[in-house]
Amino acid sequence: MGILLGGLYAVIALGLSLVFGVVKEINIAHGDLVILGSYFGYVAMSVIGIDPILSLVIGIPLMFGFGFVLQKYILNRAFKISMDATLIIAFGISIILQNVFQLIWSPMSRGLTTSYALSSVTAGPIRVPLAYLLDFIVAIVVMLFLREFMRRTYLGKAIRAAAQDRKTAHLMGINTDQVYAYTFGISMAFAAIAGIFLGLTFPFTPVSGMSFLIIALGVVVLGGMGSILGTFIGGIAFGLAQTLGGYFFGLAAQMLVAYTMVLVVLAVIPRGIFGR
Amino acid sequence: MKTTFPRLRGGLIPAIVVIVVLALFPVMGIPRQWLLYLFLFFIYLAMSNMWNLLAGYSGLISLCPAAFIGLAGYTMTVMTWLGLPYYTGILPGAIVAALFAVLISIPVFRLKGIYFAIGTLVVPEILRYVFLLWRPVGDVIYGRGAGYTVKGVSAVTQAQLYWFAFAIGIASVLLMRYILRSKLGTGLAAIRDNDVTAASSGINVFNLKLGSFVISAFVTGLAGTIFYIYQGYIEPASAFSIRWLITIMLATVIGGEGTEEGPIVGTIIVVFLYFTLARYAEISLIIQGVILVGIMLLAPRGIIGTLRKTRPYRSLLKLATRR
Repeated sequence: MGILLGGLYAVIALGLSLVFGVVKEINIAHGDLVILGSYFGYVAMSVIGIDPILSLVIGIPLMFGFGFVLQKYILNRAFKISMDATLIIAFGISIILQNVFQLIWSPMSRGLTTSYALSSVTAGPIRVPLAYLLDFIVAIVVMLFLREFMRRTYLGKAIRAAAQDRKTAHLMGINTDQVYAYTFGISMAFAAIAGIFLGLTFPFTPVSGMSFLIIALGVVVLGGMGSILGTFIGGIAFGLAQTLGGYFFGLAAQMLVAYTMVLVVLAVIPRGIFGR
Repeated sequence: MKTTFPRLRGGLIPAIVVIVVLALFPVMGIPRQWLLYLFLFFIYLAMSNMWNLLAGYSGLISLCPAAFIGLAGYTMTVMTWLGLPYYTGILPGAIVAALFAVLISIPVFRLKGIYFAIGTLVVPEILRYVFLLWRPVGDVIYGRGAGYTVKGVSAVTQAQLYWFAFAIGIASVLLMRYILRSKLGTGLAAIRDNDVTAASSGINVFNLKLGSFVISAFVTGLAGTIFYIYQGYIEPASAFSIRWLITIMLATVIGGEGTEEGPIVGTIIVVFLYFTLARYAEISLIIQGVILVGIMLLAPRGIIGTLRKTRPYRSLLKLATRR
C-alpha cells in the first residue's frame, strides 16, 4: 500500500521537480497549487456534477494556462531580481492561495468521494483501495508521457537545453523566458492531475498544501533533482516510510516520520540518489 | 557593494532622547492600547532584525523563526510549571533556541541556497507534530497535545511587559549596528558579495554563517519568551505557526531587506496593518500576501532601499551627516 501511495507522491513531486530542475526555482506554492487542483475537482463534482477524473479535460488546460501566466508575468520578473525574490514571491502566492481557499470553501475538510474512490480491489490475499491503485497507474502513465515528451518534441528538447545551460540555450535562439513559462504550465498541468488523485485518496483542507509540499520536497531531494526515475523511486520511498511509520508508531506519528525523513535525507544524501 | 556608515550630526544625542522618551512611556500615562501596539512593535522589531541579519546580510532565507519562538516559549512555560518564576525562564528559553539552531545546522547547512530554505521549512512542522504528540509536564489543559498556561504571570503589569519588549527591541537594533561593524558583519558582507573570493581570502564561510544563524535564533527566542509571557498560554498549532514567518518576512521586505533601518520602518507598517486589518480577519492574510508579492516585484529593496536611490533622500542625508 505504501508503494502504491508513493505513486501519488511521485505525481505531486513531478511538477515540483520539473520546475526545480529547469527553472532552478523552488516553487513553495506547489503544494497549494496541487490543492487548487483538488478544489477544482470538488467544484466540478459538486456543482456541475461531472466525474473528477473526467473534469481534468477542462482542468488541465485551465491549470496550464494559469501556470503559464504566473511564470510569464510574475515569476520570470522575480527570477531576474534574485533567487531570494523568487522564493519570497512563491511564498506570498502560497499565502494568498491558502486564504482564498479558506474564504471560498471554508476551512472544513473536503474529499472527492466518488463511488469508486471508496471501493477496493482484491488481488489474492491483498485488498487494496482502488484510489491507491489508480494513483500508482497514473504515476506510471504521467512519467512515461513526460519522458517521451522531453525526448521527442521540439519543446521538450528546448526545455532540456534551457535546463542544462540557460545562456547557451539563449544564444542558440531559444526564448528561455517562453520555455520557462511552458515548463511552469506543464508543471501546473501535473499539479491538476495530482490534485484530483490526492482528493480521491485523502481528505484535504485549505492548508494541506504545506504538508504535501514538504513531502514532495523530500521526494525531489531524495530522488535527485530533475530526474524522472529518481522522483518515482523517491515517491515510493516516502510512501513506504509514511505507511510503515503509521503502522509502527501509530497514525498520529506518520507525518512526523515522513518529515523527519526529509531532514535526514538533507543531512545524509543532499544530492539524492540520481543527482548529478 | 560599498558600505558606508554615516554618522548623524549631533552624535548620539537625538537617538538617546528618543530611547529615553520611549522608555518613559508607561509612566507617562499613555493609553493602554498604545502600549500594546508598541509592545508588539518591539517584539516584531527584534524578530525582523534577526531575520534581516540572515536574509539581508548572510544570504540565508530562513523559513523557521517559528521553531525558535516556539521552543523558547515552551522552555519558559515548562520552567514555570516546574515551580520557577517566569523571569528565570527567559534566558534559558533563548539558550535552548540557540542550541537548537546549532543542532539543525547539521542538516540545513549541507548545501547552500535552496536546500537551506527546504530544511528550515520542515523544522517548525516537525516540532509542531512533536509537541502535538508529546507533553513535557502536567496534564492536558485545553486543545490537542501540549497546550499550557504560563504560570505565575498574572501579576506581571503591562508596564513591565512593555519594558521587557522595549529592552529587547532596542537591544536588537544596537546588536545589528554592532554586528555590521564588527568582523562578523564585514565578513558576512564579503561572503554576500562573492563567497569564493571571501573564502580564498581567509574567511571561514561556514563559521560566520553559523554564527549569524545562532545569534538570530538566540534573539528571536528571547523575543518569543516575552511574547508568551504576554499571551499567558502556549499551544503547538500557533507556537510553530507559519504566521510568525509571514509577519517577520513582511516587515523586513516592506522596509527593505539588507538595510539597517528597513525592519524598523517595516515593523511600524506591519503593526499598523495588523490592527487595521483585524476587522477583516478573513481577507487580512490575502492582503498581506498581495503586499508581499507586490513589494518584491516592484521594489525588491523595500521602502528604504528604494528611498536611498532618490535624490531628496541623498540631500537629506548630506544635511544630516557631517560628511
